[in-house]
Amino acid sequence: MGSAEPLTSAPLVQIASSLRRRRLSAVELVDAYTRRIAASAELQAFITPPDKRTRQEAQRAERRLARGERGALLGVPIAVKDLFATRALRTTVGSRILKDWVPRSDAAAVARLRAAGAIVFGKTNLHEFAYGVSTANPWWGIARNPHDSRRSPGGSSGGSAIAVVAGLCAGALGSDTGGSIRVPASLCGCVGLKPTFGAIPLNGTFPLGWSLDHAGPLTRTVDDAGVLLDVLSGGDAGRKSRRAPTRGLRVGVLKGSIVENLQPAVSRQVDAAAAALRRRGLRVREVAIPEMRWTVATQLVTLRAEASALHARWIRAQPRAYGADVRTRLQLGSLVAGADYVLAQRMRARIRAAMADLFHDIDVLLLPSTPITAPIVGERTVRWRSGAEPVDGALVRLTAPFNLTGLPALSVPFGEAAGLPVGMQVVGQWDDEARVLAVGRLLEAEAPTLTLPRKREREISR
Amino acid sequence: VPVTERELLSAAARAAGLRLSAADVVALLPAWKRYLALVEQLRAAAVPEETDGLG
Repeated sequence: MGSAEPLTSAPLVQIASSLRRRRLSAVELVDAYTRRIAASAELQAFITPPDKRTRQEAQRAERRLARGERGALLGVPIAVKDLFATRALRTTVGSRILKDWVPRSDAAAVARLRAAGAIVFGKTNLHEFAYGVSTANPWWGIARNPHDSRRSPGGSSGGSAIAVVAGLCAGALGSDTGGSIRVPASLCGCVGLKPTFGAIPLNGTFPLGWSLDHAGPLTRTVDDAGVLLDVLSGGDAGRKSRRAPTRGLRVGVLKGSIVENLQPAVSRQVDAAAAALRRRGLRVREVAIPEMRWTVATQLVTLRAEASALHARWIRAQPRAYGADVRTRLQLGSLVAGADYVLAQRMRARIRAAMADLFHDIDVLLLPSTPITAPIVGERTVRWRSGAEPVDGALVRLTAPFNLTGLPALSVPFGEAAGLPVGMQVVGQWDDEARVLAVGRLLEAEAPTLTLPRKREREISR
Repeated sequence: VPVTERELLSAAARAAGLRLSAADVVALLPAWKRYLALVEQLRAAAVPEETDGLG
């Protein structure tokens, strides 16, 4: 068998294939990743790193592979965001309140990964209770962007994105309530897929907003995301996407007030992505969804109310057990009037209807995943010509609309700006992940993923 | 009768069963004002629809 180190940053598909062909040892791979995790502690990617039990899992996987057993992910190390319950493995949800919770069973998504042979490879850092997009976790460490450790990786699945980009696992599981898979994928430079609402079961996943929560994969390639999607959903959209025709597909490039404020470099990449798809034979035109101007308010009221309903007892009994930002959000949510929540749901229905109408005329929608590249840790405001915008609000401005509507949305790395990755978002009709992935694959082919700075890679692979 | 925004927020928090310190109120106030402004946008946008059912 060959050395594992060169394969640590390879696509999951290649790793799985090398394991199946016995060209790579699952134990050596786990050891290589474990060394890299130790060398990249500064990034704070993990709350609970893999331990000796993980190595034992790898040994079992190796025996199964030697017997000729097959499984889509047999022996493949997958890092899991620390809000998915894992049997006999601490699950903190990034909080102090649940710091000692050891679940008795796996979340459904984790059970599906294990059933496909995956090794649960540690629990990744996240924003406390997934309620924020910085992963500056007051209890478990401030996560850092692998491209520039002064910058944020985004969140809330920040640890999962770091682990994928820094080559600390083969792929990762995340969750997305307002952009928590796609935002860190965009800021760190990996693929992040939020599938259609309900496509991946959420039993055993600690909720944030019941009507907005989605689970999904973070990976190094679109193919990898398809493989994990099929395992997690029990469907075949990933497989189908590899032969889905793309020539002649109708692409709408989103215009209008919601995308008026973009960093110039991000804006240029949108134009480049549209041009690339046109060259590939897709029919590209500009579209607008006026109702999207209500998405910020609708998402805010919906999420504040739902999260505070969930945390109602704790936020009243032990407010100091929360970090400052999450405490403020939960306290604010406790003040949302029932009538305002109903109003937001009425508006949500209008937004959903507008998007359903639009998808009669287009097959996929193209827009950036985030209007900015990775901000400096602790930066609070983005300044535009038209005024200031909170960083947290800016980061989810273009992702949250698809949590409200439940449409599948993929973030794919597309070029860079001053050494930082830019993420492009492809959104499709409900249950049309196959087309979303197929178009994502075209973008991926046009713009090679930004590699880690050499200095960082040297530090990690020492 | 509450008169300032801070007092209004304190009163609303008490009614919701929250125990807020003076510092908590100060921390919460900007977010609360932003929230009220956003809700106002939604109310304004919903008005034409609300009158539909009155006829």
